[in-house]
Amino acid sequence: MRFLLTLLFASGLALAGTNDSFLIRGATVFPVTGPKVEGASLLVIDGKIAELGTKVTPPKGIKIIEGKGLSVYPGMIDSATEAGLSEISSVRETSDVSELGDFKPQLRAAVAVNPASEHIPVIRANGITSVMVMPGGGIIAGQAGLMHTDGWTWEEMLIRRGAAMVMLFPTLTPGFGGGAGGFGRAVGGTDARRTYERRIRLLKDYMESARRYQKAKAAAAAGFKTDLALEAMLPVLDRKVPLMITAQREAAIKDAVKWADQERVRIVIAGIRKPGATLADLKAKNIPVILPPTQALPLEEDDPYDQAFTLPNEVYKAGVKFAFGTFANQFSRNIPYQAGTAVGYGLPYEEALKAVTINPAEIWGVGDSIGSIEKGKWADIVVTNGDLLEVRTEVKKMFVKGKEVDVESKHTRLYKKYLARP
Amino acid sequence: MKYRIRFASVFALLAVAICAKAETPSVIAIKDARIVPVSGPVIPKGTVVVRNGLIEAAGASVPTPSDAWVVDGQGLTVYPGLIDALSTWGIPNASAIESSSPSRRGGFTPPDFPPAPSTPAAAPGPIARGPEDRPSNTSYLLAADQVSPADRRVETARAAGFTGAATFPTRGIFAGQGVFLNLAGQRAGNMVVQSPAGLFLTVRTAAFGGGFPNSLMGAIAYIRQIYLDADQYKTAKEIYAAHPLGNKRPDYDKTLEGVLAAPRVMMPATNPKEIERMLKLGHELKLKTVLYGVEEGYRAVDLLKKHNASVLVNLKWPAPSREADSEATDSLRVLEMRDKAPSTPAALAKAGIKFALYAGALDRPQDAARAVKRAMDAGLSAEDAIRALTLSAAEIYGVADRLGSIDKGKIANLVVTKGDLFQSGTEIKFVLVDGVKYEPAPEAPPASPEATQ
Amino acid sequence: MKSIFLALLAGVLSIASAQTIVIQNATVLTITKGTLKGSVVIKDGKILEVGEKVLVPPGAQVIDAGGQYLMPGIIDAHSHIAADSINEGSMSVSSMVGIEDVLDPEAIAIFRALAGGVTTANILHGSANAIGGKCLVIKTRWGKDTEGIKFEGAKPGIKFALGENPKRQGMATTQGTGRRGAADTSNLRYPGTRMGVEDVIRQAFTEAKQYQATWKDYEARKAKGETVIPPKRDLKLEPLVEILEGKRLVHAHCYRADEILMLLRVADDFGFKIKTLQHVLEGYKVAKEIAAHGAGASTFSDWWAYKVEAYDAIPYNAAVMVKKGVLVSLNSDDAELMRRLNTEAGKTVKYGGLTETEALSLITINPAKQLDIDNRVGSIEVGKDADLVLYDKHPLSTFAKVQKVMIDGTVYFDRDKDVSDRDQKQLRKKQLIEKEKQNQPQQKKGFAGGARRPA
Repeated sequence: MRFLLTLLFASGLALAGTNDSFLIRGATVFPVTGPKVEGASLLVIDGKIAELGTKVTPPKGIKIIEGKGLSVYPGMIDSATEAGLSEISSVRETSDVSELGDFKPQLRAAVAVNPASEHIPVIRANGITSVMVMPGGGIIAGQAGLMHTDGWTWEEMLIRRGAAMVMLFPTLTPGFGGGAGGFGRAVGGTDARRTYERRIRLLKDYMESARRYQKAKAAAAAGFKTDLALEAMLPVLDRKVPLMITAQREAAIKDAVKWADQERVRIVIAGIRKPGATLADLKAKNIPVILPPTQALPLEEDDPYDQAFTLPNEVYKAGVKFAFGTFANQFSRNIPYQAGTAVGYGLPYEEALKAVTINPAEIWGVGDSIGSIEKGKWADIVVTNGDLLEVRTEVKKMFVKGKEVDVESKHTRLYKKYLARP
Repeated sequence: MKYRIRFASVFALLAVAICAKAETPSVIAIKDARIVPVSGPVIPKGTVVVRNGLIEAAGASVPTPSDAWVVDGQGLTVYPGLIDALSTWGIPNASAIESSSPSRRGGFTPPDFPPAPSTPAAAPGPIARGPEDRPSNTSYLLAADQVSPADRRVETARAAGFTGAATFPTRGIFAGQGVFLNLAGQRAGNMVVQSPAGLFLTVRTAAFGGGFPNSLMGAIAYIRQIYLDADQYKTAKEIYAAHPLGNKRPDYDKTLEGVLAAPRVMMPATNPKEIERMLKLGHELKLKTVLYGVEEGYRAVDLLKKHNASVLVNLKWPAPSREADSEATDSLRVLEMRDKAPSTPAALAKAGIKFALYAGALDRPQDAARAVKRAMDAGLSAEDAIRALTLSAAEIYGVADRLGSIDKGKIANLVVTKGDLFQSGTEIKFVLVDGVKYEPAPEAPPASPEATQ
Repeated sequence: MKSIFLALLAGVLSIASAQTIVIQNATVLTITKGTLKGSVVIKDGKILEVGEKVLVPPGAQVIDAGGQYLMPGIIDAHSHIAADSINEGSMSVSSMVGIEDVLDPEAIAIFRALAGGVTTANILHGSANAIGGKCLVIKTRWGKDTEGIKFEGAKPGIKFALGENPKRQGMATTQGTGRRGAADTSNLRYPGTRMGVEDVIRQAFTEAKQYQATWKDYEARKAKGETVIPPKRDLKLEPLVEILEGKRLVHAHCYRADEILMLLRVADDFGFKIKTLQHVLEGYKVAKEIAAHGAGASTFSDWWAYKVEAYDAIPYNAAVMVKKGVLVSLNSDDAELMRRLNTEAGKTVKYGGLTETEALSLITINPAKQLDIDNRVGSIEVGKDADLVLYDKHPLSTFAKVQKVMIDGTVYFDRDKDVSDRDQKQLRKKQLIEKEKQNQPQQKKGFAGGARRPA
């Protein structure tokens, strides 16, 4: 019996008729890493991109999808979300975003991602195939996981478990998150400074103990005891995993960069709002950034009304590598418009597209497997009836690792149900 | 005549007996001084005669009475005593007048989260759920009942040239009734010139989650409802007094009694929107409104002129927060405001708006001169500055018929200086309050450099 | 030295006041009368003519739109900008308070909304009360004073709120935050359930009817010449009497289908209309009942799951309600979202397949009708206020940006000018900071004007 099944499966493969092999024909394909191809055929075999061109010979019996009038893009990546960690943001019981404590590098966001969350299909249906799921709270919040927006379990969703170590850099000017931040108030004072200095000291001490731990472990010192938290810091000290550091303003960014230099760790700056003169430094040091929502109010009353709209282009012009993140759950599905708005205010269209596809893939160390339509990569693909970044465009079909996934969600189900109400 | 002289001497002796400080005879003539009467042109050289606490005469050719104790006024200037037009001086342990609105400092204050209210923590019990609970209302409180000459600021204020103050209770939305004071006296009762002087209103409220009102809009609605209630209360009482049969007896309400007793209402306003807001509210409720704060009055001159407003300008000019060390700078709007606020008095003077200046928000009375000087540097004439701290203040409080200028018959509240008032280096030689002479304590030795660090 | 801040404001106001203006060569999205390539003639702040070919009156100022998109100014039916306070949260019925008392015409959010194409906004009281405070319609006339930003003649309104927000202070513990102590229930505020919310509204209107009767009785007795003590005026009940008399519009914050229906029935029972249901995220479930009552619905495009009562929210809500005959608008409730209501409308093309005109109606003529100001604004029609927005691309596109905004024929926002003024503003700021720094040490010095005493 088992033999028979295996045989059937094998023969299926031979016929390229399984559910992760297909050919899209006659579509406009945007590979992102190369120029768009019109009237293109895209061949996917066993979940991976096999061929892209105007003349592709389809293997016999392969499922053919007519792509006439449709556009094909790589699936988008949201580089900062709470997807699956939080269901209803105002209900504490449904949120697993922030753990207690200041230093908890051992925490892994991926294991708390609820694959049955209603948010995941909702996010996915707008063309998002991967999300960085970030823990929050404290100074070192834990490990962010890069996840596919499809899978029966979190394990199946996982692309890269510890894609980054999330750190909230201590700052004098509070107010990270949400993105609104319209309170142009000069807060601070001695209390704020004391807290800031104390937290900086704590961080320094923590890094110091991580290094001592590393040495003790390497030397197999007598009495060495495993410490799960410090153990989790080792890949960071070894520069294998980047620290994803949230910092909004010039001073905080400067602090973070200087600190990273001293600690000799690899960093990604997330959530920048007002980088000022730090951009040149980020470029020089090859530090990528994750841009927060373009749809945000200026930080201070006197800041230009379009501060957030023009920031992506400013970052691009400085030559800094960047990707977009929504830093949210319910708005993760709007990441294409975050990129689109930036285009309206000067960012070249191709760069906007890269910032939701190939750039984040590279930043998170998976540039060889997702983020563009290139031979050998996973077939994370979105088929639309128009421009991916345009708000009126509909997603018609989606594939994650070559498997067609639902563009239905709680929202479409309720829509259909109540539209039909007599 | 002889009898009178003898009586005066006896009175003087008596005074000495009561208070070691006051050696003032009952008749004083300040001779050959420059006199600034405020109500009329400056008299370059003349004499002011004070008798029994009142000004007997002042002029270029006023003879020196034979029974007078003569002060050589050569090189000195005599002004009417300065008046703090909005104060808490005289009420022991009262804190300074608070900024009139949260927006004054300019830092952003999120709506509905004003600075902590100055009212003491609410007594345990049910929290207010509406105007009928009369929260934050002590309109019946009389500052006159709380005044004491023992308040240490009375003496420091005199040393800075002040002889009078309009002093108010300042806690709560309907804080209470002010009193017009002379800044000297053996007993509280000696100090009172006029009571009540007006009802002090604030719009300070509890934070969100507290009782009614916990928002600015709630405070304004509360004020409106109280005045409507007061109107009805008055009418009801009158009708009931005339027709007790068949009518229900109106309930006694001490808060409405207080509201009805007030001759004028002091309302807080900093910038044009608040000025417009309060003037409109005052107009709607038919109040005799006096605005206080008005730091951004320079931007609201037309509005103030149109409403024929009476204005008390805060001498504590807005300053940057010393604690601010964040990356966020204050906005251009706030910077402009801090730069221009001291030009408000000049702008008001130019437009002919009735205004006085108040020192009651300053940390120390002796800071007033420098604050006035800043207004003068921003265009206020010396004449207008002096008027704003004397006669205009008296006029706003309806006591100009008895003080505020150097005129025959008025209360002898004077300040005598060497040099022009409000200039650096000017020395306050002495003040007279109710004709009694007070000399400032000798200048303190300069503090050692270490001490100032 | 002249204040730059004021100069900038004045600069805006000096552009194009009461005169004739012709906007030529535009793609005119009239909303109510189709789309055309042509011109709009404006005189004394009103639209004089719309057409493919118009005569340019002599002396008229001509603006060449360069083929760009001209649409009516956006109307936001639900906003909380431009006010110094938003919620009087101490009472379940706070109808005595009003936004008009606390307007802030200098709030930067006004300018930002303007730069996002919004020319009219309904400023609402918060939602902590079953019956909230009075609201006010404004125009985003940046630079004008309190009187100057009011939408003159707009019918007064009031906020109601159902569901989680008004009952929150009636719960022994605040769910999620756990901030309120479970032990202390002495200061809880009624109501704590949706049943209680209905009760509060019914009680209030019952009281209002009695109040109405008390005054009628008093007036009648007074007219007969009797000497009677007048009743007390009650600022809480007077707006409710106005609602009963049809003089004040009710804008009710609501989420769930059950509470929406409850409110419609309460209104039916007391004989008044709900003008708009706000948020109304489950409106799609009871669209039929909403349409039958005649209430409008003002909703979000795609917000959901931020609280339990928003868990069944769907981005198709607006489209379903439109299809079922409800007058629908999209609102912001947020100073940031307010700046891009055009793309929020664009989402309804995707979610539910509305036509482009239907989508644009959600932020123009429909909210105008919901606020009873459609005789003045909401479409490009002869006789209406010249409240216009010029976009470089189709306004429903993600890539569109606002170029110019005109209110009553006056240009209040011009992107080019805003961009070019920035340096000047920064310079002035630097100067002032420098000046303050220089003055500071001087301020700290002692002053000899008053005699000092030893400390």
